[in-house]
Amino acid sequence: MPSKKVIETKKVCRVFKNGEIEVHAITDVDLIIEEGEFVAIMGASGSGKSTFLNILGCLDKPTSGDYYLDGVHVNELNKNQLADIRNQKIGFIFQSYNLLSRTTALENVELPLVYNRTGRFSNSKELAKKALEQVGLGDRLNHKTNQLSGGEQQRVAIARALVNDPALILSDEATGNLDSKASIDVADLFVELNNKGKTIVMITHEPEIAQFAKRMIYLRDGRILTDEIIKNRSTKESALKDLELTA
Amino acid sequence: MKQLLKTFKVAFQAIFKNKTRSLLTMLGIIIGVAAVIMTISAGEGATKQVQDEIAGLGTNLLMIYTKTEHRAGAHVRMGRPINKKDFEMLQKNSVWISKLSPLVVSVAQAIGPNGYKSIAIYGVSDQYFDILSRDLLTGEYFKEEDVKNAGKVCVIGKTIKDELFLDLDPIGRQIRLDKIPFTVVGFLKEEGKGTMGQDQDDIILAPYTTIQNRLHGHRRGYDIIMASAISEDHIIDAKIEATELLRESHRILEGDENDFEITTQIELQEITGNITGVLTILLGAIASISLLVGGIGIMNIMLVSVTERTREIGTRLAIGARESDILTQFLIEAVTLSLAGGTLGVLLGIIGNQIIYKVTNFYIPTMLYSILIGFGFAAFVGIAFGYFPAKKAAKLNPIDALRYE
Repeated sequence: MPSKKVIETKKVCRVFKNGEIEVHAITDVDLIIEEGEFVAIMGASGSGKSTFLNILGCLDKPTSGDYYLDGVHVNELNKNQLADIRNQKIGFIFQSYNLLSRTTALENVELPLVYNRTGRFSNSKELAKKALEQVGLGDRLNHKTNQLSGGEQQRVAIARALVNDPALILSDEATGNLDSKASIDVADLFVELNNKGKTIVMITHEPEIAQFAKRMIYLRDGRILTDEIIKNRSTKESALKDLELTA
Repeated sequence: MKQLLKTFKVAFQAIFKNKTRSLLTMLGIIIGVAAVIMTISAGEGATKQVQDEIAGLGTNLLMIYTKTEHRAGAHVRMGRPINKKDFEMLQKNSVWISKLSPLVVSVAQAIGPNGYKSIAIYGVSDQYFDILSRDLLTGEYFKEEDVKNAGKVCVIGKTIKDELFLDLDPIGRQIRLDKIPFTVVGFLKEEGKGTMGQDQDDIILAPYTTIQNRLHGHRRGYDIIMASAISEDHIIDAKIEATELLRESHRILEGDENDFEITTQIELQEITGNITGVLTILLGAIASISLLVGGIGIMNIMLVSVTERTREIGTRLAIGARESDILTQFLIEAVTLSLAGGTLGVLLGIIGNQIIYKVTNFYIPTMLYSILIGFGFAAFVGIAFGYFPAKKAAKLNPIDALRYE
């Protein structure tokens, strides 16, 4: 059975214009990611990895080139269609969590379902609860976001990204604000989700976190430098052991 | 429809999650609306009160007095004083004037059974009561005979009764005016404060003959002759006629100026109309300023809170909210806060008017149009400045909204 392409980019470029100066953040990126993959994108700051992920997440549009997401030609979509795509096909996780403050974990996770127009999810409370249980926060449902630790907040954000049952989960430095232990927990959670069939693309600048993925892409100056399969994947146990050794 | 219901839920969640922000927004609107209602109503109240009182004097009143001029800051009489000769001449010859009364004012020490007070005493004829339509509460007016005989009788107002008699019935009792005993024959109905704030019940009325003979040291002139035309329609006729009669009897040559003045009630009304018109404009200006200040307050808090919420808008866009979802949410929030604040502001304004009435006894009618202006403007500003910044934010690329600092 041929694998389904979740992501396909053809000569994608993104140019920022700042007055007279043009900055080429991404140049001619061709990439195919298939269903069930777990990809880590690495690169120095300014290498264009966040810009690329924003395009993949339909938060930004490429200046030129084509982007197909789950078979849909994203370039041709209008604003509302893009919003619906973000809502139904993508779960986006940010470095700074971007949760609503003074709002409970449950309400935060429920939010994507509130904006869902397909009518697919009638029992949104139930689904939100299930998503939170999946990330191990079953006992924190009614805690407000400011009462949770950083690791817990990021797990709420992950639950929010999962709740719509998206085709693709994108993570922009999800572990960037977390300590090593919490980072390993989050990476392990990604592995677990990937084992259940979710396609995951994550940006990270920590090699030990990238080591959890199946495939690693290295960007430099807006172009793909290397693209290889990871052979010795980390597991939670091995990573924790390494952590103890370095300590 | 279902989506709209969900958006309502989101909007109300946002209002209740951020109680301080919501309350501050509403506070601006509440104060703005209440201030407008109270200032406009106060202006209207003052205007109405003045107009009512002038109308209450009767519109066929004429006042004839000696011309005065301002010289070096003092009123100086210009002609010979209006006197008994003028009074009798008008009484005899005038067709359009039905009632006449001289008015002489004298200041005296008044001593009653339970108090004393220094006061201006009005010497008038028995017709004065009719001309100014002052009704009695108890007793009777003094009569033509009392005027003829310079009888030592008087009619008093409520303030005098309260201060000199306390709870005693004043009728038949005596007041000493500069040591001369006067018998109180009548007690006037309460009239309240006059146009310029003077107490119209702080009054003692006695026959002018008595005042002139006993208290005035035999001064012959009158301060004013009060008259009423036979009807309102003939007040101008009465003025023209009186002017001609007086010019003739004062032997004023043609082309020369009058040495007296005649003011009618209608002219008085016009003058005070001008004064209250200015007052209304002034209060209107104050109201506009409070409206402006209130509006700017609302604008500020709305702008600040929406800018602060640009990241929230970014988050919502990133997880799949459409632009219209965001706009509807912010519109619902702005409308809800504006309407709630506006309603509370109207209540506060009405209650404020009532409190002023209770405390100062100055009646302020709450004007419907002031409610509409205040409420309408506050709602407009609240909604406009809640909506348009949100619209700007919702139009942003989600990623730009998320990165907003």
